[in-house]
Amino acid sequence: MSQVLSRMAGDDAVFGHFGAAAGYALAARRAMHEYNTGPDTWKHIAVGQRKWANLNPRAVMYDRPMTESDYERSPWIVEPFRLADNCLVTDGGRAFILTTAERARDLPHPVVTIMGLGMHNPAADPVAARHLTGPTGARRAGEQAFHMAGITLEDVDACEIYDCFTYTVEITLQDYGFFGPGEGEEWFRGGTIEPGGRTPVNTSGGLLSEAYQMGLTPLTEGVMQLMGRCGDHQLGPATGNIKPEIILCSDNGGILQTHSCCILRRN
Amino acid sequence: MTLKDKYAIVGIGYTPQGTVSDRTTLDFHLEACADAIADVGLKREDIDGLVCYRYFPPAPGEGDVTPYLVAQHLGLEPAYLAQDAN
Repeated sequence: MSQVLSRMAGDDAVFGHFGAAAGYALAARRAMHEYNTGPDTWKHIAVGQRKWANLNPRAVMYDRPMTESDYERSPWIVEPFRLADNCLVTDGGRAFILTTAERARDLPHPVVTIMGLGMHNPAADPVAARHLTGPTGARRAGEQAFHMAGITLEDVDACEIYDCFTYTVEITLQDYGFFGPGEGEEWFRGGTIEPGGRTPVNTSGGLLSEAYQMGLTPLTEGVMQLMGRCGDHQLGPATGNIKPEIILCSDNGGILQTHSCCILRRN
Repeated sequence: MTLKDKYAIVGIGYTPQGTVSDRTTLDFHLEACADAIADVGLKREDIDGLVCYRYFPPAPGEGDVTPYLVAQHLGLEPAYLAQDAN
């Protein structure tokens, strides 16, 4: 997979098409052609997640607020992506401890169980793939996880979505069924994912504004939120949200070529 | 049989993050794991398995980081070792 993300082959490099940013930009550009999406949708994601990061001292962007006009002035990296659409590049590490639910009851923190799991890997090379504008692997992985958990989208209190790029958040939530293709701009508008919003997303700041610890940025944030250990960015009365019981987490790899969905619950 | 609610995530390990100079890839692996173990108040011998997340090539001048190497440095003797592909 690292070869997929970094190789330069044939004429691709001549045209600037190499690396993850170009791969996801290709997907995002195609989505703009097929339905209503683009910077007017993605700015809500970049700006909304930054508001969470501004509440999280661990976040790399903790003391760097971002307005919509900051987003619009952010330099192009690979059109249609600006710098603010790209995740951070971060030194650091992250780990978690997994055990049985039974053993967890004897350990110090509130018990957070894995309620649902799903995985689906549409592994076609991006230049030959038809899934880059959805449904991505998120569709079937999400269906599996919700089936196992025995819940619906309405039961989800917050989402921690793998956000290598802003578009990744849109297509993942779209494929999970939060909104239809092209409806994202309206869904995100008005602070939906921000502190106090009706569906908080990436409450640490995410890969865009907290730190790039791969899929462990979203997964560990979901656990910490359910344990109630998130300080100023803890979902609850202080942020204008309900105290969460169920959090939906995602991870994906390659250029939308692998996907895993994990539903966590506070017991 | 379902795996629903059978397993729990019980602790998290963090390290300094951002632009952090003079640290190696292995260094971050060790601190994150040690911090996670301490977060739950476990002992070395409680750890039965070690799964390293996505594999990336090592930074220039560094050796490969494998789960076995991480376990060796932490003094762990897990029965199960695994490395996720990227």
